[in-house]
Amino acid sequence: MSPQESLSENDFQRLFAMEAEGRLDTLVDELLELEKGGATPEVVASLFREAHTIKGGAAVVGMPHVARVAHALEDLLEEVRRERRGVDTALIDAVLAGVDAIRTLIPLAVAGQGHEEAAFDAEQRLRIAVGGPPVVDGKAAEEAVPGQAGSPAESGADLAGRDVAAPTAAGGATPPRPATAPPDVRVPAPSPAALPPPAPPAPPSAPPSGPEPGRAPAAAREPHAGDGSVEAHGAADGAAGHAEPARATATEMLQIPVHRIDELVRLIGEASAATLRLGSALLERLERDPSGLTEYRDLVRSLNELQELALHARMIPVMSLAPRLRRAVRDLARETGKEVRFETRGEDAEIDRGVLERLADPLLHLVRNAVDHGVESPDERRRNGKPAEGTVRLHAMQLGSEVVIAVSDDGRGIDVTRVRETAGRTDRSAIEMDDEAALYLIFRSGLTTATKVTGVSGRGVGLDAVRASLNAVRGRIEVRSDPGMGTEFRIAVPITMATLRCLVINAGGQAFAIPLHSVRAVLPPQGSAMVGGRAMTMLDGRPVPISSLAAVLGTGNGSAGPAVVVAGLTRSHAFTVDELIDQRDVVVKGLGELLPRMPAVAGAGVQPDGSILLVLEAAGLIERARRMDSGDRSHEAASGGGHEEIVPQRAASILVVDDALTVRELQRSIFENAGYRVRVAVNGEEALTEISHERPDLVLTDVQMPRMDGFELTEAIRKQASLASLPVIILTSRGSDEDRRRGLECGADGYIVKSGFDQSALLSAVERLLGADR
Amino acid sequence: MAGASTPGVVSGQLALLIPVGSDTYAVALETVREVVVDPRVTQLPTAPAVVRGVFNLRGDIVPLLDTGLLLGLRPVMEEPYAVLVETPHGTAGLVATDMPLTVRLNESVGHSDIEGTTETYLVADARLAVALDIPVLLSPARISR
Repeated sequence: MSPQESLSENDFQRLFAMEAEGRLDTLVDELLELEKGGATPEVVASLFREAHTIKGGAAVVGMPHVARVAHALEDLLEEVRRERRGVDTALIDAVLAGVDAIRTLIPLAVAGQGHEEAAFDAEQRLRIAVGGPPVVDGKAAEEAVPGQAGSPAESGADLAGRDVAAPTAAGGATPPRPATAPPDVRVPAPSPAALPPPAPPAPPSAPPSGPEPGRAPAAAREPHAGDGSVEAHGAADGAAGHAEPARATATEMLQIPVHRIDELVRLIGEASAATLRLGSALLERLERDPSGLTEYRDLVRSLNELQELALHARMIPVMSLAPRLRRAVRDLARETGKEVRFETRGEDAEIDRGVLERLADPLLHLVRNAVDHGVESPDERRRNGKPAEGTVRLHAMQLGSEVVIAVSDDGRGIDVTRVRETAGRTDRSAIEMDDEAALYLIFRSGLTTATKVTGVSGRGVGLDAVRASLNAVRGRIEVRSDPGMGTEFRIAVPITMATLRCLVINAGGQAFAIPLHSVRAVLPPQGSAMVGGRAMTMLDGRPVPISSLAAVLGTGNGSAGPAVVVAGLTRSHAFTVDELIDQRDVVVKGLGELLPRMPAVAGAGVQPDGSILLVLEAAGLIERARRMDSGDRSHEAASGGGHEEIVPQRAASILVVDDALTVRELQRSIFENAGYRVRVAVNGEEALTEISHERPDLVLTDVQMPRMDGFELTEAIRKQASLASLPVIILTSRGSDEDRRRGLECGADGYIVKSGFDQSALLSAVERLLGADR
Repeated sequence: MAGASTPGVVSGQLALLIPVGSDTYAVALETVREVVVDPRVTQLPTAPAVVRGVFNLRGDIVPLLDTGLLLGLRPVMEEPYAVLVETPHGTAGLVATDMPLTVRLNESVGHSDIEGTTETYLVADARLAVALDIPVLLSPARISR
């Protein structure tokens, strides 16, 4: 290590702060597991080990206050580990308070300050909790200890760093957690052998962009659980017990400051540009065509791979936010006397770390809203024939260049009438709105329908802030609500810095890139027809609105060239362009914080020749075209075209079978947007009932579902002679060969792996099968 | 970054003069990252009028803003120079229609009433230069309006 790289004590403290952050997340996650009744010896041992490791680390880097609290934490957990004390809410609360205290004390220590009182209070509370009830059948009598230091609301606010809903309400005892250290990302270490301390035996790490996203390395699924490379204190210590097998097999992780990866990405970019310049120099000065040189091609290819890998290193799983959200759900449920289960799905969805950081507060707000406003009290739920325990779900999924994250609950839904009335007091136009438009009034500033203001919500300063935060990362939010059934908020955010395969076209004299995943078709130059005052063209027997891209972007007039049909989240639209140029990979960058969000522009990429290529966003483009169209009905979008009436064919119907609301709704919107009729079912049994009522033209089913899974459904369909020709596509997150074989053996016509699927691939698979069938 | 703490440049400080048409503006030299000659600008459709476009600065995408329109004055017709300034929201380019020069500012000769500016200074050749208040002038809210 060169002198300039040697670490100061403060550097070690920062390093410890980063490590402790991950450990505390794990600790909280496991603790909540414990509270749900999962008090296995492994979980308890792991909890103990985390506390023990934090204590050791804190002492080494000179944070005596942190070490003291961690020591008390360790002692308390030791009692549980030795089965001398049972698990009850008082224990959970005390440990959470201890975790909060450590989170507060670490940044203070990094800044060279101590906080004697906070350390003392937390330590006392943990010491008192030691004298809890004894173990009875692995559990303890449910009763709280006296002298609860911090209320759950306070700890929740602290944990989240800051409360979007009530920035001033929850301050109190614990100051918000400041950024303790430069941001970092965790990447799988390239080789265990490269690490200084002897690491436990581990299988070779999977590369970050493994060929099977469905089988992401364990560390990707549990970002904070597998950082075993820094186990200097814990695993080696006899008191911590034997090394846990799960930990030993976890992918080795390294923590790398984000700026180093950014620097890496930048340098690779410069190397690529220099290589291209070298290529032109070869051609110009030596008259050698570089593309004919194997060495040159190898270099370019390696640099491209390197670039992709480096960009991927910035990505982290969306679900790394889950521990914080789970904690918030738990605290708020306790505070409001509700029973709430928190479920997550979509462990393989990844997103740029910077983007995810900006999503933490909005998601926290949505989750707290779901518990506070959505889920009813156990009594009310029982009266309405629902299970006493409500469910809040967090579901993430990558869809093309975006990650869609849904927060849903099975609570009472949003009372649209109340929303309309409340908004109507200040805005008369609200009263006229239909239900869907009125629902979106909840995003207006200052609007609340809550009858009482609680510590977390009802102040009307929430959802507008959520929307504003999302705007900052060029995301958008949608809401759906069924009275009595629940509410779902769906956030779609672009994965910035992603490499996107794009169709490059010329419109109005300027080149633009259109992400291929949103391109449905390219049509040769043709006429359009006016239907209901709008220019339409035909695609696969169905009418699609058509506009000139240059006119929609305001850079020119109509074009007589080919038309590119793009699909947004909910609908399709054709755009005429001057010419098609080519297809290429574009590293899409955001346009920065200074510029406002432009819904039709997804970002831009720097081309090898140094020029900038703008990447368009289908949904925003379509919205803009429709607004211009409805604003000016006489707007001639494309050239030529007679005024013939178009009679659409009967739309084909698709039955979507999936137990996950988000997936179902996502697919519903994809297919409805493409002009299909869509029905849904939540499992195989319900699907068979639906099919017996009306035969669909195609069935798209998930594999893992309660009651009857997708394989069984497919077999049941194939057994009926009348359904023998009904096309079935299995869509699943399981990408193993065995599953694929089983799917095809039981008679499925297609098998698509979710983590690899994009909208256009799904649509074209469906279109192929329907074309063969009809 | 003085731009964020002290609005605009003050007398005695080194400033960069930005000629825009017949007017001259001044920014504190320490808020200036560099001056780019003849930036290759890509138009940004659907952006507000003050955004002339974006250009590539060694791999970074930087917006180029119309200095005249930003101040509520006449738009510029060309962009021979881009003065890159650091703002709390990232780097941005301001169009200069002539070569920007460095000066040390004399005493202020009066307050400027234009929003987004601070004081007026007398510079060489009996010209007046109006100091820009970068955090105010280059805020996302102002660019969006």
